[in-house]
Amino acid sequence: MSAEKELARPFNPRVLLVGLAVVAPLVAVLVMNLGRDPHTIGSPLVGRGAPDFALRPMGGGDPVTLASLRGKPVVLNFWATWCVPCFEEHPVLVSTARRLGDRVRFVGVIYDDSEEQVTSFLARQGASYPSLMDPGAKTAIAFGVFGVPETYFIDAEGKIAAKQIGPLDEQTLAQKLELAGVAP
Amino acid sequence: MSRRALLGPALAALAALAAASSLSAQDEPARGGDPAQVVGPPRGQAFSGKALDARTEEVGGLLRCPVCQGLSVADSPATMAVNMRSEVRELLSRGYSQEQILAYFEHSYGEFVRLEPPMRGVNWLVWGLPFLALAAGAFAVTRVLGARRAAPPAEPAPLPEPGTLPDDPELARYVRLVRQRAYGWPDGQPPEAKA
Repeated sequence: MSAEKELARPFNPRVLLVGLAVVAPLVAVLVMNLGRDPHTIGSPLVGRGAPDFALRPMGGGDPVTLASLRGKPVVLNFWATWCVPCFEEHPVLVSTARRLGDRVRFVGVIYDDSEEQVTSFLARQGASYPSLMDPGAKTAIAFGVFGVPETYFIDAEGKIAAKQIGPLDEQTLAQKLELAGVAP
Repeated sequence: MSRRALLGPALAALAALAAASSLSAQDEPARGGDPAQVVGPPRGQAFSGKALDARTEEVGGLLRCPVCQGLSVADSPATMAVNMRSEVRELLSRGYSQEQILAYFEHSYGEFVRLEPPMRGVNWLVWGLPFLALAAGAFAVTRVLGARRAAPPAEPAPLPEPGTLPDDPELARYVRLVRQRAYGWPDGQPPEAKA
């Protein structure tokens, strides 16, 4: 008799309520982040003004500032000769920069590499835009660079329109350029 | 009780916190790469020598090395961490305060770069929930213990009446057997009933 009573215990809304209070926020967090790739951390700088810099170009010359490049979209590519994906994307960047001419300003920023290495790399692989030295990676830190290659697409007003982590192929490059206001 | 009444506002507050923290990052004006443009002029003490080394270690310990797995900038040998460490060192020597330095890195890397979540927005949950859970547990335990103490001691179950054997002789045999085992009654009959 009493065992039957145990089984037919009346529904307790309190238990349900407490359970929901614990489970609901967890489920909400899970659902909210379901579509996100846990390996990519969005840059807080996208949509904001790009940090200015004054960096010496390879082979000498006056420092190049971001402010001096304003008025045209800028593609800022952080790279190094020791980085294999950088080697892979290099031809894409060089040919696209050549094709777009003065519609876009392509700029490379050297990350943790020596000037000699970069000079000989560019002599072998070709170049169509300037690369700047970034001693102490100060500019990389100001841009929130995690590792190379990383590329920032800055629109004509100096706002960071998009960021690419990892190597660029023709398609991604065209997509991100469009975000920075460059018609394909 | 008013538990249900409490739950609604609590969930609403949670949602508001989440909304506020995601909004605050959007509305800031554009800033440059110079630390002074991001966090203003130095507001701390300028360090040098041994003190600078120690402070660099301390502040670097609060920054996450972006390319490592759960390592601080102070602990990681990665190039990025080395660069960030020297940036911290330079900012400290120029008189930037710890909070300014953390804010500068957060500006470009996001809140992720702080190893300790700052006490604001939804982060309050991280700091507050463990204590809240502890308090709720303590409350539950004291309530249960209090109820147990208040209740009169349970009386031992009364012994079965002698004449309560089931009608079914087969069943009665087993009941007697059980009573013999359980109470030590020979043949399952209470002593006085036998007498």
